[in-house]
Amino acid sequence: MRNFKYIWVVGIILTALIILAPIVLFASKEMEKRDDPWTAVPNRLPPTDHTDLLPGPYETGPEVTQACLECHEDAAHEVAQTVHFTWESEPVLLPGRDEPVTIGKANQINNFCIGVQGNWTGCTRCHAGYGWDSADYEFPEENVDCLVCHDQSGTYVKANSGLPSEAVDLAMVAQSVGTPTRQNCGSCHFNGGGGNAVKHGDLDSSLFYPSEDVDVHMGRYDFQCVDCHKTEDHQIGGHSISVSVDGENDIACTDCHSENLHADERINAHTDTVACQTCHIPEGAVRDATKMNWDWSTAGQDLPEDPHEYLKIKGSFVYERNFMPEYYWWNGDADRYILGDEIDPNEVTVLNPPQGDITDSDAKIWPFKVHRAKQIFDPINNILLQPKTVGEGGYWTEFDWDLAAKLGAEISGLPYSGEYDFTETDMYWPLAHLVQPKESALQCSDCHSDNGRMDWEALGYYGDPMRWGNRSQTIGLTTDTEEN
Amino acid sequence: MLKKSVHTHPKLIIVLLGVLFLLAGLFLFVGQTAVAQEGEEPDPEPAVAPVTNSLHPTFPLLDEDGNHVLETGKPVSTMQTCSGCHDAEFIAGHSFHADVGVSNMTEPGQTGNGRAWDTSLGLFGKWNPITYRYLSPEGDEVTDLTTPEWLKMFGVRHVGGGPAEYGRDGQPLTDLAPSADSVETSIVDPATGERIPWDWSESGTVEMNCFLCHLPDPDNEARKAAIHEGNFQWANTATLGATGIVKQTDGGDWQWNEAAFDEDGNLTKGVISIQDPNNDNCGLCHGLVHVDAQTPMVLNECTPEQWSTITTGQIMSPQKISESGINLANKEELRRSWDIHTERVVQCTDCHYSLNNPVYYQELTGSRPEHLQFDPRRIELGEYLYRPLHEFAKGQSAQGALAPGLDNTIRTCESCHEATTTHEWLPYTERHMTALACESCHVPQMYAPARQSYDWTVLQASGDPVVACRGIEGGGETFATALITGYQPVLLPRPNADGAAPLSPHNLVTSWYWVYGEEGAERPVPERALKVAWLDEEGQYSAAILDVFDSNGDGSLDETELIIDNEEKETLIASRLAAQGLANPRIAGEIQPYNINHNVTHGEWATKDCQTCHSEESRITQPMLLATNMPGGVTPTFVTNGTSVLSGELVTTEDGALYYQPVTEEDSLYILGHSSINLVDKLGAFILVVTILGVLAHGTLRFLAIRRNPNRHKPEVREVYMYTFYERLWHWLQTALIFSLIFTGLIIHKPDIFGAFSFAWVVQVHNILAAILVANAALALFYNLASGEIKQFLPQPHGFFNQAIEQTRFYLNGIFKGAEHPFEKSPEQKLNPLQQATYFGLLNVLLPLQILTGTLIWGAQRWPELSAQIGGLTYLAPLHTLITWLFAAFIIMHVYLTTTGPTPLSDIKGMIMGWDEVEVGHTTSTSATSAQAD
Repeated sequence: MRNFKYIWVVGIILTALIILAPIVLFASKEMEKRDDPWTAVPNRLPPTDHTDLLPGPYETGPEVTQACLECHEDAAHEVAQTVHFTWESEPVLLPGRDEPVTIGKANQINNFCIGVQGNWTGCTRCHAGYGWDSADYEFPEENVDCLVCHDQSGTYVKANSGLPSEAVDLAMVAQSVGTPTRQNCGSCHFNGGGGNAVKHGDLDSSLFYPSEDVDVHMGRYDFQCVDCHKTEDHQIGGHSISVSVDGENDIACTDCHSENLHADERINAHTDTVACQTCHIPEGAVRDATKMNWDWSTAGQDLPEDPHEYLKIKGSFVYERNFMPEYYWWNGDADRYILGDEIDPNEVTVLNPPQGDITDSDAKIWPFKVHRAKQIFDPINNILLQPKTVGEGGYWTEFDWDLAAKLGAEISGLPYSGEYDFTETDMYWPLAHLVQPKESALQCSDCHSDNGRMDWEALGYYGDPMRWGNRSQTIGLTTDTEEN
Repeated sequence: MLKKSVHTHPKLIIVLLGVLFLLAGLFLFVGQTAVAQEGEEPDPEPAVAPVTNSLHPTFPLLDEDGNHVLETGKPVSTMQTCSGCHDAEFIAGHSFHADVGVSNMTEPGQTGNGRAWDTSLGLFGKWNPITYRYLSPEGDEVTDLTTPEWLKMFGVRHVGGGPAEYGRDGQPLTDLAPSADSVETSIVDPATGERIPWDWSESGTVEMNCFLCHLPDPDNEARKAAIHEGNFQWANTATLGATGIVKQTDGGDWQWNEAAFDEDGNLTKGVISIQDPNNDNCGLCHGLVHVDAQTPMVLNECTPEQWSTITTGQIMSPQKISESGINLANKEELRRSWDIHTERVVQCTDCHYSLNNPVYYQELTGSRPEHLQFDPRRIELGEYLYRPLHEFAKGQSAQGALAPGLDNTIRTCESCHEATTTHEWLPYTERHMTALACESCHVPQMYAPARQSYDWTVLQASGDPVVACRGIEGGGETFATALITGYQPVLLPRPNADGAAPLSPHNLVTSWYWVYGEEGAERPVPERALKVAWLDEEGQYSAAILDVFDSNGDGSLDETELIIDNEEKETLIASRLAAQGLANPRIAGEIQPYNINHNVTHGEWATKDCQTCHSEESRITQPMLLATNMPGGVTPTFVTNGTSVLSGELVTTEDGALYYQPVTEEDSLYILGHSSINLVDKLGAFILVVTILGVLAHGTLRFLAIRRNPNRHKPEVREVYMYTFYERLWHWLQTALIFSLIFTGLIIHKPDIFGAFSFAWVVQVHNILAAILVANAALALFYNLASGEIKQFLPQPHGFFNQAIEQTRFYLNGIFKGAEHPFEKSPEQKLNPLQQATYFGLLNVLLPLQILTGTLIWGAQRWPELSAQIGGLTYLAPLHTLITWLFAAFIIMHVYLTTTGPTPLSDIKGMIMGWDEVEVGHTTSTSATSAQAD
């Protein structure tokens, strides 16, 4: 009897299996590939050429918006729901309050130019909409400004009340539209606080064309803002605790990077307590100095002017470059000073205190820029005031604090006793940009040495946790003492 | 409500203060002295200085008689001052840093390190060609350094106490009367060379200098100046120069500053801070320390105070190398720190700790009961602070042979690191860790330069020897202008406490110099005599020297001319030395190994690529340049205390350069992929080639025979089911395995030829293939045993030789004539007698031997003793290789013989399909059990 003809095929397969199976099973893979952060970076389609789709001409901004909506039907509605348009958050319940409150540029104040109310025309130049010039603005969807985010011609400029500057060729701008770039986001966010680099300490015009040592993502890898600030239905990820106090819309390094990605176990052991930013953003304002201190109380004098030291309309400033951040526990949430809250004028009022401490397991040590200011308040009612600065009767034209306070109070509805003074306020700005690669990150001795940058005791430790015990040991001891 | 600013935790502060009180209380209790301020409330304000510093109480400064220095204006006595709380005498009496060999001096040449003139193993009595000056023993005719001169020169690198206070017989130096008769009480007049008396009571001595190591900012420059001047009694006082407690007047005297003391005579709080020694303190004598990670480090000139930096290039700094201010090659890429431990805030004293520090104290494993991991019984902190042992944990360094009793007390890599868990990726982990010290891979490269050679046979006009550095390109000696390339340390076996001698990184410093005196009792020629031989009274080269050495006639000598490379030059210098009364002057040379244990890096920068070592150009055997020439043609000898072994060879190249070439065989190392014994490969290749030639010749003859007689009788064939499926599977599986094993084995043997393959992966695959082969062979053996087929493989004693001869004659003769096979092949008798003999040898000798050697090579890390008993890898590996060659030869022969069937391919086909063509009808007398070819 003859076996079947292809028995040799069976033989070859069997032989190969017997040899290869153990090799595949037992020979370890070479250098297992680490998880790849690039998988989380969005791949974008090339932009559609809108030249033929939007022939123009357009007279006004809303006309362009109308044209956009012909294809992107839901776009304006989507944008109208976002804080970029409303400048106000959904109601949130803050610690120690009974009622939820809304927070945003629209209704709260900071310790830079104080607040929007009464000053709309100037402030809303950076509003992603058209025509907001009074308290009566109704946020119509047709006033959504598509171009400020999508213009790729580089010629779109907004003027007072967020209207397109007269010189802008709207048709050309409309035809250029594409995915937002650093130029679009930066046109407002790099100029927060009224000028380049003023506000954040980690966002400034050096990020338009960043070199590698300014920010590793944007410099070395040419990231655009929206690569990390991922956007769905025009809801852009990310939040700043000056206007958005809960961490719901948070974006994190770990969205792309794995938490324990360091080759070194000792460094990985830090990631439960230390934010990535703490080591990877060793300095703020690496190129352009940022405002660290603003004293409104010196305004109004005829002193020599220098935009980085003194302006008659604004008072005196301190700018710093390459500043060393301050370090505090932060769990992603913040409390917020709400207009009308009583203050203690003998103490520093923190407008947005970051939440969390050493006992809060969600909190990590974060780097902050702390902006310290002296701003106007009512010493009788003990409340911070919202002065009118821009426009008729505003401080910047009249240099009359009393008038500015009175006009501001009328608009904001705050009581004003007729007396004003200046009080110290702080604002916390967590640093998240200007990220440095490992080569330039902090080293052990930057924190763990006699002259390290951490104030361990202020953070709640007994001393340098390298020697005195880490967070859980420290908390454990604290708890024990309390129980005893 | 809104929270105000950053709040503090009151309870935390209470706890913290409590802890501080407790510690402070303990310290005060221990002090048992008036210094402790009874009833004084601790400063309620938060301490500005770090907690550790503020703990030391303030104290008065006392002079040698125990009187307050403000009253007497005399120098401070550290022994008197610190004895207020600490047992200063105990501390100074138990410190090899103070002793530096004075208490264990021998007659010259008795120290066991090979140098005929050394009198101790420490700085006091051990000569070093780098510093050159020689401490003369009592009784030598020619004096180089007397004790006072030694102290002036070497005292700057000595902490005081020991020979700075006591004579060689243990008596206080101040008790000795000035006398030119003794080297302890005299000094050599540079003008005459005659000894003149030295008055110790006038100069004073140097007590053990507590301030030097326990102040954050000791004034080392002032201290060094006082010692160089011979103003010994003020040296320790000068160390306080930067504190403001004492000031130097224009006249050079030191005056105490009353304002620095309070009304009780204690130093005012804050003017002095006594602390643990930090890295900077150690760096004052041991090498370049740069603790500030931010300020770029610069490397200027090497001075003997930077000892470890000179001898090895070791630099202790947390700074990234790329951030330094040194002109380094590829600096941008060097994003690692100089030393990972310094980077990770590990202090010198964390490994080199005081041996009775209860925090670190560990009982030696020898005396500790096995069940006990930690013995909590130890001295109290107070006892420790009273008598802190100033014997520090140390390793076993190639040159620092002082206090051999303390060797290997140091916290080693293994004391802190559980290396096995982090090295799981490393194949043969155990084997690697036995053969290599951690530093071999974790100090892959030295980035700073180090000294390479000292040529004291010649003298520059400055009076310095000709010195060469390694790790510098261009720019000569000045680091500022040169490109620093660093160097790769050479790997030398270095015996451990446990007796193993793993390879560890070293620098080799080679020196040549003149010696004089009888063989076995020679001494280095004093620097003074060298200068007289070379230079005239104005410090210019003597005319006689220029005549011989100045080859370009420019009136000066540069480094290319300063070489003793012919007899005329040698004779000239020798005669000029002999003229000064130095008998039999001659050139000698030595090689000093300096081990490298610092400048460690972590895994990312460590050597990980297998082929760094497992390749032809293996890092293990990389030679090290010792010198570009050999002065006087003298081959240097190794000088070592036996702690590092120079097992390699000295090789001279054609241009006269001298290299050290490691020889791995001497260290019983066989490095896969690098080591191969030429003879084995040649023999194997020879056997293989002979086989191939034989097969080719035989095949050609067969071919010609068929051509000559094309019509010869074609045997009638019938098909027989010869091989079962399992037999065929077994056969082809083995075929595939053997081919794969030979191939992967070849890659492991010569990885350089197969660069595309990952060495580690191929080794793994080779091991897995071998495991399958063993399993396959075992199953086949079982099958053959169980089925009884085994008897086919066993040559039958009866008539075997006749049959074998018959088969041989067939292959040699009959096959060409178309004769029939002498034995019929059948399922019952597949093998002919020759095959039986071959397979018998193959299966019983070669295969088991190959499996055994392979297993032992694989097992070298699991059962190293077993492999070692058979001679270790140095024997196993070449044997394994040779057998592979034989296997390869067998395969050639085997495959060729399969073509001798009825048709060339019929046998192969048979082995594939199972059905074989067998000649029918042939008649042979002995064919009852006949068989046929492969």
